[in-house]
Amino acid sequence: MTEAMTRNEQVRGEEPRIGVFICHCGGNISDVVDVRRVAEEIGKLPNVAISTTHMFMCSDPGQGLIQEKIKECGLNRVIVAACSPSLHELTFRRTLNRAGLNPYLFEHTNIREQVSWVVEDKELATRKTTRLIRAAIGRIRHLVPLEKRHIPIHPAALVIGGGVAGLTAARDLACRGIEVTLIERGDHLGGRMADLGHIFPTEDQANDLLRPLIQEVLATSKIRVYTHAEIEESAGTIGDFHIKICVGANGKPGEVVEAHVGVIILAIGLEEYAPREGEYGMGLYPQVITLLDLARELVKEKPGQEFTLNGRPIRNVAFLHCVGSRQHHGVHRPGPQGKINDYCSRYCCTGILHSACELKKRYPHLNIYEFFEDIRAYGRGHEEYYTKASEEGVRFVRFDPLRPPCVEKDPRGESPLLVRSIDRLTENMEVEVPADLVVLGIGLQARDMSKLIDLYRCSVGADRFLLEVHPKLRPVELAVSGVFLGGSAQGPMDITEATAAAAAAGSKAAAMITQGEVEMDPFIAKVNEDLCTGCRICLSVCPYDAISRDEEKGIAIISEKLCTGCGTCAASCPSNAIQQLGFNDAEVKSEVLALLGVPEQEPVGA
Amino acid sequence: MEQGRTETAKPEVAEGWEPRIVGFLCYWCSYTGADGAGTARIQYAPNVDIIKVMCSGRIDPELVSTAFAHGADGVMVCGCHIGDCHYINGNHKTMARMPLLKRLLADLGIEPERFRHEWVSAAEGQKFAQLVTEMTEQVRKLGPLNWPGIMHSRGVGHGQDLRPWGE
Amino acid sequence: MDSNGQVSGKLKIGMYWAASCGGCDISLLEIGPHLLELIQVAEVVFWPCAADFKYEDVARYPDGYIDVMFYNGGVRNSEQEEVARLLRKKSKCLVAYGECAVDGGIPALANLKTPEAIYDASYHENPSLDNPDGTEPQPITECPYGELEIPRLYPQVLRLQDVAHADYRIPGCPPSAERVWEVIQLIVGGKVPLENSGVVVGCYDKSVCDECPLEKRMVKIEQFKRIHQARPEPGWCLLEQGIVCMGPATRSGCGALCIKGGVACEGCFGPSGESEDQGTAMIGAISPLLNATTEDRAAELVNQIVDPAGYFYRFTFGSNILRGRK
Repeated sequence: MTEAMTRNEQVRGEEPRIGVFICHCGGNISDVVDVRRVAEEIGKLPNVAISTTHMFMCSDPGQGLIQEKIKECGLNRVIVAACSPSLHELTFRRTLNRAGLNPYLFEHTNIREQVSWVVEDKELATRKTTRLIRAAIGRIRHLVPLEKRHIPIHPAALVIGGGVAGLTAARDLACRGIEVTLIERGDHLGGRMADLGHIFPTEDQANDLLRPLIQEVLATSKIRVYTHAEIEESAGTIGDFHIKICVGANGKPGEVVEAHVGVIILAIGLEEYAPREGEYGMGLYPQVITLLDLARELVKEKPGQEFTLNGRPIRNVAFLHCVGSRQHHGVHRPGPQGKINDYCSRYCCTGILHSACELKKRYPHLNIYEFFEDIRAYGRGHEEYYTKASEEGVRFVRFDPLRPPCVEKDPRGESPLLVRSIDRLTENMEVEVPADLVVLGIGLQARDMSKLIDLYRCSVGADRFLLEVHPKLRPVELAVSGVFLGGSAQGPMDITEATAAAAAAGSKAAAMITQGEVEMDPFIAKVNEDLCTGCRICLSVCPYDAISRDEEKGIAIISEKLCTGCGTCAASCPSNAIQQLGFNDAEVKSEVLALLGVPEQEPVGA
Repeated sequence: MEQGRTETAKPEVAEGWEPRIVGFLCYWCSYTGADGAGTARIQYAPNVDIIKVMCSGRIDPELVSTAFAHGADGVMVCGCHIGDCHYINGNHKTMARMPLLKRLLADLGIEPERFRHEWVSAAEGQKFAQLVTEMTEQVRKLGPLNWPGIMHSRGVGHGQDLRPWGE
Repeated sequence: MDSNGQVSGKLKIGMYWAASCGGCDISLLEIGPHLLELIQVAEVVFWPCAADFKYEDVARYPDGYIDVMFYNGGVRNSEQEEVARLLRKKSKCLVAYGECAVDGGIPALANLKTPEAIYDASYHENPSLDNPDGTEPQPITECPYGELEIPRLYPQVLRLQDVAHADYRIPGCPPSAERVWEVIQLIVGGKVPLENSGVVVGCYDKSVCDECPLEKRMVKIEQFKRIHQARPEPGWCLLEQGIVCMGPATRSGCGALCIKGGVACEGCFGPSGESEDQGTAMIGAISPLLNATTEDRAAELVNQIVDPAGYFYRFTFGSNILRGRK
């Protein structure tokens, strides 16, 4: 550690000695870009100590080459021109680290995804490559050694939400010996799942699955469980949250419980789409109900009883797919926030098919119609419901999403309702179907999470659900370290998917606690106290409230823990008193100037 | 310079001139979107050279002026769609800066087509490619901006290099 | 030696005015009673505004004769450049005095028009002109008495440092008397070297907000108003009230005089901190304060600002990043 610090100090005083390594990428780059010519041209530029190429920079020999040249040529800066930094920037930073050079004295230039793969003309591609490497040289001259931030993590977890996802996450964490506080806003554990009967695809009874899980959670001393509980206050920062929880029955304020935790899992779930008054007859006709209303009814119904609604026997049931999902502007009314749900809610096709099969099993005489846009029975064991439903005589009508079905009173009075639609399966023939019961396959939408979103600075997608850092590389993490996505707060999911997500979140949270600390990139913003006037403009731009005012000094101060490195404050400061490490004004401007081929220090017009 | 009046010389378009456009892209959405165009092997004009920042909120209008001042024929600023910002609402601040910046540039005679501000998501490689090709063609029609040339011809930064008075 | 040919031990100082309003010359007098202290230790060897020196006198001085030369005003024509270079040769320390010399000042607003537009307006289009032949001034004109030569008008207004190296730069329109006296004391007292790199002195590091007595309430701007259209609420930040105040983007050192006088700061001390462009700095300052969630609404609001380029660059269009127009 001391050796590294000494080397860092040395580097600050040295002239840049830059090593430029250009990757052939096995032809992916070199088939288009004349990498050898680029290496030669770049080698002539000032401060470039070595400029060379290699077949695969990311391979062991490729990395070895960098390490070798760092020692041999006394390099104190390294540029690798290769694929996108999203793939291997980390790899090469580690290479530098192994060679005893600060990993942030590195620049990764993208000449594959953004050059060789998109530019046909070899000459233009080669010149573009030279320009981009020249820009990197301009930038790298100004880079200084940086250290990752290490934030300690208090070894305890908070799970918000006592549904199946929250229970799963809490149990998994407790299994690893971690203290958990589990809070549930409602009056029972098990959430939405507890209302259901048979669930797809295993046909288990929902509560048969929930009961042992709940018992496990309640039995262990590692988990403190509170129902009727909500967060009143949350203070602290990453790895060190101090949370006040209000526990009260029937909405009355009760005791306040405190939790000191290092990680938080958001398992708050979502809500059902509430059809608008009049949408497919909802609220106008008592015969229109939602899919989940039906599911809850079926739990209560004893088999063998006749299927009735308000005393009237039910013969014809119509299911409507895509209610509150896959909506179109101009066709569907936006919700209270002015937004439509243009996404697919995933669970409903299989849910409807499952309910249709369930109904057919209990009441074989029923005529069942399904009005669908597409059938998305994508999961393991889901397609079987479609096959079964077809075999059992469920009739499918495929509607045009821009001309959805109509639900209206039967003018002839033979049936309570009629459902009319065009059928794309029969070349847009108009279909009219009698219905004693219309079941709307309602979608799922994000619930009002504004308080939590504000508290923990969650990124939110355009669909109003919480947004993960990266859907493939970091699917259950939020941009704020230590807060994880445990289930359907992230998007419409069925129980299978929600429990998988919760288990993943639990695993990630446990890993963080086991590490004891989280490493964060050093690209934070810093205030120059001599230049800061305390005008407070930066305070209003930080998305994370990481900037506060030091009343004594009358200047802005930025929390190292909370700053996520967006650089917005740095761009807003009218005095340029805030600089973002790794992206400060000198670094970015030099990159621009070098890109345009301007030697530094020259004023405009000279 | 014997004549009293000076006229701004129209920049001569050198043969083989290619528009030089600087693109400031935010890493999480637009830069990744540009990568996506590459993965899909979509071919597009090479005239936009990309400078990566973490968030479009980092893009100080000063950087846009700097790019034009030092020879860029066009500047592009790309960020995440509103509501999709990796840093919650950094892109809101970018958006708020645009009207004043566009007005300033226009007041200084920089044609509006030379500066573009667009939202590009990580999945919009095709959109990015089209955007680049479209902007390149628009700037090509306008010709080089050559700001350093204009300023140099007006003596900005160096005067007329005269002898001291009396010599 | 002085203009009488006498050698004296006093510091040789002077002030020249180029494209100037004369305000800076007056501001030197504003040091008030300190003038008496100054003339104890310094003598004026060139000050066209105040005394009858000729360029020939200066040309006859040995090189480096003048210890401290204050040059105020912008460089608008060839005479001003020639004299700047002369003064550079004859001075140990050349100081860009006042905003015009430092950043271009008010004259540099001319750079918001093209040179040809200026000629057209001045000699052809101005409604009060009587110029039927469309005559334009020429550098050399034949006339009955011989050849008449006048300085050539430059296409753009320049700063002193564009034509001659300035050792120090004192911003302000005009510079603040207290600050000027402090600088003079430093120089006269030998506390700072006569030769320097163009360091900005006579001001503070922070922006005017530091000296401003008004209170920030951290609210968003609903509407922009010009100072004559508004009755500002006393005690409250003008910018937050929608009156464009250059304070956040302007160096302090003036004591926030204008604000204390009830008007918004116009930015006459040049850019604050390490910013090099008041216009882009103001975009950074104003944009976060707009009460707008869409670009259209933001545009609606900022379109209420009349002439942002002229307003933000009122004093600094000679030294911002773009420095001119196409």
